[in-house]
Amino acid sequence: MNRTASILALILALAALFAVSAHAGDVATLKVVVKDNRGLPIQDAVVTVFPAKAAAPPTSFLWPSAMGQKDLSFVPGTLIVPKGTRVAFPNFDRVRHSIYSFSDAAKFEISLYGRDQTRSQGFPIAGNVALGCNIHDQMRGYIKVVDTPYAAKTDREGRVVLDGLPTGAVEVRIWHPAAMASKNEADHDTVLGAGLNSRAVVLPLRR
Amino acid sequence: MTGMPLLHKLQRLNWRPGSLGTRIAFVYALLFACAFGALVLIAAGGLTLYAERSISREMAANADVFEEVLKLRGNERMAQADVLSGDFGFRKAVALGDIPTIESALDSLKTRANVPYAFVVGVDGRFIGKVSDLRPADRRGLVAALDAGQTGGIITLADKSAGAVAAPIKLPDLAGWLVLGEPLSEKGLANLARLSAIPLESRITSLERLPRAVRGTTGSAPVEVKENGERILYRANPVASLGGDSKPVLLLRHSLTQALAQHRSIIWKLALLGLLGIAATIALSWIIARSITRPIATLSKAAKRVSEGHHAVVDVRSNDEVGRLATSFNRMIDAIEEREQRITHIALHDILTDLPNRKLFAEQLEATLARACDERHVAICYLDLDNFKAINDTVGNPIGDQVLKQVAQRLTAFMPEATVSRQGGDEFALMIPDIAADDDMLGHADRLFRCFEKPFVVDGQNFPVQSSIGIAFWPHDGRDAETLLKNADLALYRAKQEGKAGYQFFEQSMDDAARRRRQLEMDLRKAISEGAFELYFQPLYSLEKEQLSGFEALLRWQHPERGMVSPVEFIPLAEETGLIIPIGEWVMREACRQAAHWPGELRVAVNVSSVQFKSTNLQNAILQALSQSGLAPNRLEIEITESVFIADIDETLGLLHKLRSLGIRIALDDFGTGYSSLSYLRSFPFDKIKIDRSFVTDLASGPGASAIIRAIVTLAGALGMETLAEGVEQEEQIATLRQEGCQHVQGYWFSRPVPGAQVPALIAQFGGVAVDREDDRAEAA
Repeated sequence: MNRTASILALILALAALFAVSAHAGDVATLKVVVKDNRGLPIQDAVVTVFPAKAAAPPTSFLWPSAMGQKDLSFVPGTLIVPKGTRVAFPNFDRVRHSIYSFSDAAKFEISLYGRDQTRSQGFPIAGNVALGCNIHDQMRGYIKVVDTPYAAKTDREGRVVLDGLPTGAVEVRIWHPAAMASKNEADHDTVLGAGLNSRAVVLPLRR
Repeated sequence: MTGMPLLHKLQRLNWRPGSLGTRIAFVYALLFACAFGALVLIAAGGLTLYAERSISREMAANADVFEEVLKLRGNERMAQADVLSGDFGFRKAVALGDIPTIESALDSLKTRANVPYAFVVGVDGRFIGKVSDLRPADRRGLVAALDAGQTGGIITLADKSAGAVAAPIKLPDLAGWLVLGEPLSEKGLANLARLSAIPLESRITSLERLPRAVRGTTGSAPVEVKENGERILYRANPVASLGGDSKPVLLLRHSLTQALAQHRSIIWKLALLGLLGIAATIALSWIIARSITRPIATLSKAAKRVSEGHHAVVDVRSNDEVGRLATSFNRMIDAIEEREQRITHIALHDILTDLPNRKLFAEQLEATLARACDERHVAICYLDLDNFKAINDTVGNPIGDQVLKQVAQRLTAFMPEATVSRQGGDEFALMIPDIAADDDMLGHADRLFRCFEKPFVVDGQNFPVQSSIGIAFWPHDGRDAETLLKNADLALYRAKQEGKAGYQFFEQSMDDAARRRRQLEMDLRKAISEGAFELYFQPLYSLEKEQLSGFEALLRWQHPERGMVSPVEFIPLAEETGLIIPIGEWVMREACRQAAHWPGELRVAVNVSSVQFKSTNLQNAILQALSQSGLAPNRLEIEITESVFIADIDETLGLLHKLRSLGIRIALDDFGTGYSSLSYLRSFPFDKIKIDRSFVTDLASGPGASAIIRAIVTLAGALGMETLAEGVEQEEQIATLRQEGCQHVQGYWFSRPVPGAQVPALIAQFGGVAVDREDDRAEAA
C-alpha cells in the first residue's frame, strides 16, 4: 500500500510540476524556512497559506488521514487534515490507549482500545486539536484541521515547500504547539511572485 | 591615716623600690605576666576564631538545612498539587472552563493538603480561584516565572512571604498551573531555627530590606554587623522567587556577642588564673629574693654598725655563698677590731716601755678625777731623770733605751698602786689614786725616790740614775687634770732648780713664780722687739799703767712698769728660753758700735753666755758686729764663764781658738767659784782671768784671801795671762791687789756702771787714754 502511495505521489508530483511549468506566469511556489529565536530549525511546524481569493478546501492531502499509536507515541506527531475528514487512530502498540481531546475544534474521548484496533473520529471544524492519552501522559499528538489546500509541515531542516500557489497577496500562517503566539499560530502577510518565493520565518518557542 | 600602717608594713617587709628583692620579684612577675598574657591572648584569639568559624560553619549548614527543608516541603506540596493537576476530571473542568468545578476542586485540595492558598493560573495569564491576596504586579510576575519554567519559590501573599509550588496542568498541552501557596509563618521559621545547634533567628526578607552591610554578600560567608554594641553575624541566602519583583532572601541572624559570652567566661577564668599565677609568682619570687637579700641586708646593717664604730657579728648559718660571705665578714670584723685595738694601744702607749703615753695618762687622770671624792686624794708625780742625756751621749741610745725600760719596770714594781706613764724622753709621770687624806705623803715620795737608790744595770754595766720629782695633789693643788699636771711640772721644775736628785711638793708660790716668769718672758720678748734694753759701761782700770784700759758692757733693762730690772733676774730666764741669743747679739752689736767711738785703744768687754756658745751663729754675730762698727778685733774682749765648757769642750775650744786667732781677746769670768778647773786654764790660753768679787770682798777679813789672789795672779802670770779683780770698793783693796801683782781692777771704787753717753766724761775724769800700742801689740802676739 505504501509503495502504491509513493508511486501515486510521484505521479502526482510530476503532474503538478508539469502543470506549474504549463501555467508559468500565474503559479507561485513558496519555500518557507522556520527557525526559532535561537536560530534552530523547527520541525513539524504547520505552514498554511490563504490566498486573498479563497480556494476550495481539498478533500484530502497526499498523506493518509490517520494518527497511529506506536511505541507510546502518536505517529505522525503532527497530522494535517482537511476540514470534515474522519481520522483513524490505529493502535500498533501492545498496550491499550485512551485518546482524548479538550480542544475547542474537537472535544472527544475514545475509551481504551487494544492492539490492532482502530477508532476514528471526524473533524468537522477547522482548528487545532491536541491529542492526549489518558493513561500515558507523555503521549502528545496534534491534528491540524485546515480549510485550505495549501498546507504542509516543516521537515527536519525547518523547510517546507508549497506549490501551485496563486501569485499575489497571501496570508501565511505558521503553527506549532509550542509557539509563543495566540493559538500557537503566527500570521505573515506576503505577496507571492511567480516562481519560487523563499521566506524565512522566526517563530519563538516556549521552552 | 590609712596610708601609714601600710607604709609601716612595707617597711617591716623591707620593701624598697630599688631593693634587690623588689627587682627580682618584679622581673619574675613581669616575665610570668608576659608569658601568661600571651597565652591568654592566644587562647582568647583561638577561642574566638574557633567560635567564629564554627558559628560560620553552623550558619552555612543551617542555611542549607533551611533550603533543604523548604525544598522538601515544596516537594510535598508539589506532590499534593500533582495529584489534582493530573486528575482527568480536574483537567477536563479546566479545559471546559468550568470555573465552579475548578474552584470547588481547589477548596477541596486546600482542605486536604492543609494549605491556605490554591489557585490555577492559565497559560494565557488567567487566574482561577481566590487570589485576592496576590498583588496584580505579583500576578504578572508569577505568570512570567511559570512561563519561564519555574515550578516553586517564594511569593508574597497578603504581604507575607509564602512558599509556593506550581504543578503544570496539561491538556495534554500546558494549559496552566495549579499553584499551592503557604505563608512561611514566624512560628514555622522558629521551629526551623530550633533545628540549629546555635541560637539563630531566621526570617525571609527581600534583598532591599536587608541591613546595608549584609546587602551584596548574599550566599557568601557570614557578615559581622555591630548592632547596639552587639556583634551580630548575618548570613543571607537568596531563595528562589516565584515571580515577585522583590528578591527573597533567607536571612539568618546570630548574636556573636552572646555566643562569645560563653567563651568569654572561659577567658575570664583564664585571666583570673593568670592573675593568681602572677600573685603566686610575686609571692614566690619575693620569698626567694628575700632568702637571698635578707642575709645581704643583715651584712649591710652589720657593716653600717661597724662603720659607726660598734661591734657587730653577722648571724648567718647557711652553708652557701652568702654563708661563706658572712663568715668572711665576721673574720674581717675580728681582724679589724684586733688591728684597731693594736693601733689604739700604739696610739696610747709608749712603744719602748709599753707604758701609757702622755695622752692616755691624761685621759686616765681625767677619768680618775671624775670618780674621785674629796676625802681621798690623788697624787701626780712628775719625774725627770737627771742628766740622762749624758748616758745617751756616752753609751748610745740603745743602752739608754734599756735603762729607760728598767726605770719603767722598777717604777711599776715599786709603785703597784700607781698608774705609771712615760711622758716622752726621760720624763715619767705617776698617778697614785685613792690616797687617804691623813696618809703620809712623804712616805709615798720616799718610796718613789728609793726607786733610784740602786743603779740600773744594762749589759753588766752600772748606770746610777737619779731623778728629780715634782708632786702635786688633788684636790689641793688643782681641781682639774690640766692644772694638776701643770703644777706637778712646776714642782719638778723647782726640784730641778733645787739641785736635782730630790723631790718637791707643789706650793702655791711655785705657781706664782711661774706666773711671774711667764710675764717676764713676755715682757722680754716685747723688750727685744721694742729695743728697751740699754748698755751701761763700767771702767776697767790698769793698775800698772794707772789709767783706764777699757769698759765692761753691762745690760740694763728699763721695764716700763717695774723700772730697772736686774740682769740677775732676767738673764737666767733669757738663757732658759733662748732669748739670750737675740739679746746677746744686740749687746754685741751695740757694745762694738759704742766702743768704736771711744778714743785710743780702750777695749770693750762683752759677756757671752754658755747658751750663746751652743748656738752656731755666735761667730757670725761677733764678726758682723765688728765689721758693722769698724771696731778693731783686739779692742773686743769676750768674757766667758766656766759653764761654756760643760756642753762640748772640744767644740767650745775650737770656737775660742778661732775667735782668738782673729785678734779677739778672751777673758775667763768669775774665776774661783764653781769648779775652777785648772785644766781649762791649761787647755786654753785666756788673755785675762777675772778674779771673782768674793775673793776681793774677803781681803779685809784675813790673810787667806790675799793668799788666794796671790796664787791666782802667780798662776796667771806663769801662764801668761792677765788678771783682773772684780768688786773693788775700798782703797785698801787696791793697795793689796797692787801688792799681790794684780794688773787690773774693776769696781765701785772707780765707778759704778754708767750709761754709754757718760763714758766720754768718765774717760776725761780718768785723765785721758793710754796710748801704748807697742805694749798692746806685744800682748796680742
